[in-house]
Amino acid sequence: MAGQSDPNLSLFSAEEVEFIAEDEMVEIVPNLRMDALNFICVPLWLAVALKKRGKCTIRPPLWMSVEKLTQVLEAERDSQRVFEQLPFHYVEISRLLFDHARDDIPDVYMVRSLVEDIRDVRFHKVETNLETLNERALALKINNLSAMEVNIVRPFIGRALQAFYKHDSPELIPDQERISDRRPQVANNAARRHLRR
Amino acid sequence: MANYYDIDDIITQEEFVSVIFQKAAGGVGIDPSSETDSVEVGSKVELPFWLAHELQLRQAVSMNVPACFNQKTRLEIQADSACVDLRSRSPYFYEFGCKIAPLVADRTIGPLLLSAFKSRYKEVLTKAHTAAYPAASKHLTILTKEETHLYEAAQSSMAAFKKWRMGGPRFQRASILGRKRKSNE
Repeated sequence: MAGQSDPNLSLFSAEEVEFIAEDEMVEIVPNLRMDALNFICVPLWLAVALKKRGKCTIRPPLWMSVEKLTQVLEAERDSQRVFEQLPFHYVEISRLLFDHARDDIPDVYMVRSLVEDIRDVRFHKVETNLETLNERALALKINNLSAMEVNIVRPFIGRALQAFYKHDSPELIPDQERISDRRPQVANNAARRHLRR
Repeated sequence: MANYYDIDDIITQEEFVSVIFQKAAGGVGIDPSSETDSVEVGSKVELPFWLAHELQLRQAVSMNVPACFNQKTRLEIQADSACVDLRSRSPYFYEFGCKIAPLVADRTIGPLLLSAFKSRYKEVLTKAHTAAYPAASKHLTILTKEETHLYEAAQSSMAAFKKWRMGGPRFQRASILGRKRKSNE
């Protein structure tokens, strides 16, 4: 499970994130006679399983149309800091639908290339945002990031923040800007002894 | 101490520090160039950090600033820290500096490390997630252990993501099932 190979990473593998994403609801149109309605909202894992057995067709979610995605892509390219509102699991959902329900999506190649472009632009934005990390940063806030994007940068950001925190400790940095209480130090040219570890 | 079992910490403490003995030490063959077995007061010897640290606590030696933090390195870092080959100075540059800084009467090591790390971090960041050919970058050879750690974390998570995106079988067959069983007739 998380952190299996390297105990320091505490990372979800991509498959695990996809597994969590499969809980999202999608609409399907069943081929066989089913009890209640024509359009049913089912979890994604069930929809994919039914689709594999040829018992339904999947309706692509509303955000997955060429117009909507083009809009999102334009908006992403326009701003440097702001991320667009996208479903939390858009990467995983789009990949699952491309793999299993390709014929249910109109203009599937266009949609696919748009999703890839959006992913690229967003990832570059994440990297730009990461450049703002400096020694005062205790945490980093980026809005509207999706699950897979978070998962990719999680170990890097964790270690970078740790490294910055370690280098910024009060022992190392002389105390001009800090507001801490320091005992008056006697100038001592011989070796100092620090009893605090 | 929290890092007692940490391998990186142990190797960091192996770095040599030049010390000056304040007390004479008899019966120890530390200084290989001296004829006798003892060390005189005021003699300068290179000791590993863990030994120098303990002796300093007992006020038997006084530590000097190690060679990797000398003026030449500082000037290089100020000029362009992203290109400085810190690994040849010491692969544990930052950790060693963090340990040395409280013990040596030099308050500029901390800010030096911080500014070096800040600017090198930007370089690592731009190359980490997106490098297509990790072996082709000579930038990797100048990173210290800590920075390499950071870089590899990003690389491995990006590689895992790309592998997932390629698709492929989601279930893996256990290798022990690969052999066919003969049917018993």
